Amino acid sequence: MKVPCTTTQAHQPPSLKHRATSFNEPKSVLDLGRSPSPSPAVNKPTPKSEVSAISESLFQSDDGSLHSVDQILNLEDWVWMRELGLHDDSTRIPQFNHSDSQLLPEFPPSHSFVPDDFSLSSDQFPNESFNSVALSNDFHHMNNDDFNFVDVLIRAADCFESNELQLADVILERLNHQLPYPTGKPLQRAAFYFKEALLGLLTGSTRSTHSSDVIQAIKAYKNFANVSPIIMFSNFTANQAILEAVDGSMFVHVVDFDIGFGGQWASFMREVADRAESRRVNSPSLRITAVVPEEYAIESRLIRDNLNQFACELKIGFDIEFVLVRTFELLSLKAIRFIDGEKTAVLLSPAIFQRIGAGFLNDLRQISPHVVVLVDAEGMTEGGTPSFRRSVIDGLEFYSTVMESLEAASVGGSEDWIRRIENFLLRPKIFAAVEAAGRRAPPWREAFAAAGLRAVGLSQFADFQAECLLRKVQVRGFHVAKLQAEMVLCWQQRALVATSAWRC
Amino acid sequence: MFSAIGSGVGVHGDFQGLDGPHLAGDPCLVLTTDPKPRLRWTAELHERFVDAVTQLGGPDKATPKTIMRTMAVKGLTLYHLKSHLQKYRLGKQSCKDLPDNSKDASCLAESQDTDSSASSSSKIAQDLNDGYHVTEALRVQMEVQRRLHDQLEVQRRLQLRIEAQGKYLQSILEKACKVLNDQAAATAGLEAAREELSELAIKASNDSNGLVPVDALKVPSISELAVSLENKNPSNLPARFGDCSIDSCLTSNGSLVSPMGVASQAAAMKKRPRPLFGNGDSVPLEWMITNSG
Repeated sequence: MKVPCTTTQAHQPPSLKHRATSFNEPKSVLDLGRSPSPSPAVNKPTPKSEVSAISESLFQSDDGSLHSVDQILNLEDWVWMRELGLHDDSTRIPQFNHSDSQLLPEFPPSHSFVPDDFSLSSDQFPNESFNSVALSNDFHHMNNDDFNFVDVLIRAADCFESNELQLADVILERLNHQLPYPTGKPLQRAAFYFKEALLGLLTGSTRSTHSSDVIQAIKAYKNFANVSPIIMFSNFTANQAILEAVDGSMFVHVVDFDIGFGGQWASFMREVADRAESRRVNSPSLRITAVVPEEYAIESRLIRDNLNQFACELKIGFDIEFVLVRTFELLSLKAIRFIDGEKTAVLLSPAIFQRIGAGFLNDLRQISPHVVVLVDAEGMTEGGTPSFRRSVIDGLEFYSTVMESLEAASVGGSEDWIRRIENFLLRPKIFAAVEAAGRRAPPWREAFAAAGLRAVGLSQFADFQAECLLRKVQVRGFHVAKLQAEMVLCWQQRALVATSAWRC
Repeated sequence: MFSAIGSGVGVHGDFQGLDGPHLAGDPCLVLTTDPKPRLRWTAELHERFVDAVTQLGGPDKATPKTIMRTMAVKGLTLYHLKSHLQKYRLGKQSCKDLPDNSKDASCLAESQDTDSSASSSSKIAQDLNDGYHVTEALRVQMEVQRRLHDQLEVQRRLQLRIEAQGKYLQSILEKACKVLNDQAAATAGLEAAREELSELAIKASNDSNGLVPVDALKVPSISELAVSLENKNPSNLPARFGDCSIDSCLTSNGSLVSPMGVASQAAAMKKRPRPLFGNGDSVPLEWMITNSG
C-alpha cells in the first residue's frame, strides 16, 4: 500500500489562521442545502438552523467549552461530535467529558469508546435520563442528517489541513455510516465521493484503471455526452476556436493536455476534411501530442487505434503521440516534438496546473502557438486556493451542481446510468481535485498574463453554436453567459464550464 | 454649380449604339424600358460610383470626367455622371444628420431630364433621403437574412460535429469491449461463464487481503458473486484482463439471467437504440436492462 508521504506534507499550512476565519465558511456550504434541485427538498426545517448554530459554535470555540449546550435540540449530533473530541484538537483519543451538561447520559469512565459502534438507543444507556434519549430519537427522525454530513466533511477536511490524520480517520469512519452509498440528493452524493476521496488520501490507495473500468467509463462518457451539453459545449467551443486559428494551414499540430477519450478530435478531423473538400484542396494533416497521466496505457492505446482509423476513413494524414505528465513536468516543452511549418494549437485544462503548476506557460512563447484554448470544467478554480477546506467546499458545491444538472436530464425512469456517470466520470475528477487541493495551485490567470498571453474573444460562430446546442438539449436550466473573453455554460446561474481563447 | 442638363439630344445620341437593355461588358448598365431610355442606378453601379468618388477625394473634389475615367464603365457618359454627382452632393449635405449615411442605394431610378430643376435641389435631396431610408431598411433586412443564414450553417455544422463524435465514441466503445474481452474465453453459454466466474471468485478470495473497503454502487440485481468480484477488484488484484472482462460484461448486463454471452455483447451494443441527443429518449436501453431483474 502506498503511503502518501507527499500529500501529508502538503497539508502543513497553519491551522490557526484558518480556524479564525472558519466561522464564516460553514454558512456557505450549508447554504448549499438551499440550492435548487429538481427533486423537492425533503425538509429544510428548523433543525438545520440548530445544526448550523452548533457547528458555528464548535468552529468558533477553540477552548472546548460548549456554551451552546443550553440551546441544544439536536442532541444526537452534538453528543457524538463531542465524544469524538471535535471541540478539542489536542484530544486524540476521544474522551467523554462530563463537565458541561446535565443532558448527557452518564457514561462509565472506563468505557472504551468506539465511534463506529455508537448508536443512540435507549438500551445502551445504563442511566435513564430519558428525556435526552427521547429527544434524540425524535430528532433523528427529523432527518437532520441531511446537512450535517457536510459539516462533518468540512471538519474532516480541516483535520487534513492541520495534519490530524488520526482524527480525520475517526471522523471519516463515522461519515461512512452516514454516507454509505452515493444515494440521495446531489449534494449528498457529491459528499459521498468527497468522503471517499478523503479516505483515499488517508489510506493512500490509488485507483488504478482496470480494463473493465475503462469500458464503463467510455459508456458513461457516451451517455453523458448525449444527455448533457457539458461535454459538447467544452469540445465544440474549443474546436471552433482552434479551427479558426489554424484554418488554411496544411500542417496542424495540437498539444492536448486533457484528451479524455479523444472524441473531440474525431469531430475536429471531420470538420477539417469537410472544409478541405469544399475548397477542393488537399486535406491538411493533423498531429496530436497528448500529455497524459501515468495510468493511461489502456486508454492511450484505444485512442490511438480509433483516431487512426477515423483519420484513415476521412483520408487525413494523422499521427498521435503520448507524453507522460511526469516527463513533461521535467522537460516542459522539450518533451514535445515540434516541427517547423506547423500551426500549433494548445488545449489546456486546470488539471495540469493542479498537477505541475503553471510555469511551463512561460515557455509557450517559444513555440508561438496560434491559439491557446483553456477549458475549465473543474469548478473555475482560479488557483491560489487558500485552504484545503476551501477547496473541498468549492468542489462540493461544484460537483453537486454538475450532478443536479445531470439529474435534470433524466427522464425520471432509471437513474442507474446517472450513478454510473457519477461513479466513472465524476469520481476520478473528484479524487484528483482532492488530491490536488493540498497543493497550492498557482493562480492561472496571473500565470497567463505573465506568460504574455492575452485573451481573444470567441467568434460569432461559437456563439451561435452554443445557442444551437442548448436548443437541442431539451433540459431547461442551462444557459450560456459571456464574460469578457470567456464563454461560460451555466446551470441555473452557476458556472459549469468556462472556455476562453488566448494568443501570445 | 451645374447648369441644367437639358438636351435630350445629346443623351439620345449617346444611346445610339445601345439596343438591348444591357450592354456587353462589366458592369452592365441597366436601362429602363421607357420610350426615353434612362439609366438605372443599381446598387452595384452606385457602389462603384461611390468608390470612385471616394478615391478621388470626395464628392466635392471629384469631377464627372475623373469619375468617368475611374469607374471605367462602358456606356456611362458625362451627362449621367453630372446628374448623379449633383444629386449625390445634395444628398450628402442633407444626409449628414442620418446616423448611417448609407451609400448602398439599392435602386435609385433617376431621370436624366431634370424637368423642373428649379423645383429645387431640396426636392431631389428629399428623394435621396427617402431613398437612403429605404435602402437602410433593406440593408437591415439583408443583415437579418445573412444572420439567419449563418445560424442555419452553424446548425448544420453542429449536427455533423455531433455525429462525428458520436460515431467515434461508439466505435471506441466497441473496440474496447472487443479488445479487452478477447482475452476471455468467449463462450456464449451461460453455464461456461458461470463456471469461470466461480473459479475467479475462488482465486480472488485467495488473493484478497481480508477486509476491503466496500466501494460499490448499490446494485441489488447483480448476483453476490459478481458483487464480491467487483468489490475486490479495484484495490487488490492486479489488472488481469480475463477477470475484468467477464466482470465488466456482467456488470453492464445486469443480472446473470440475461442470456447474453461475452461475444454477443458487442453486437448487442450496436443494436441498441442510441440515446438521442435532444429527442427525449435519453435513457440508454442498457441501463434499463441493468435495473430489471
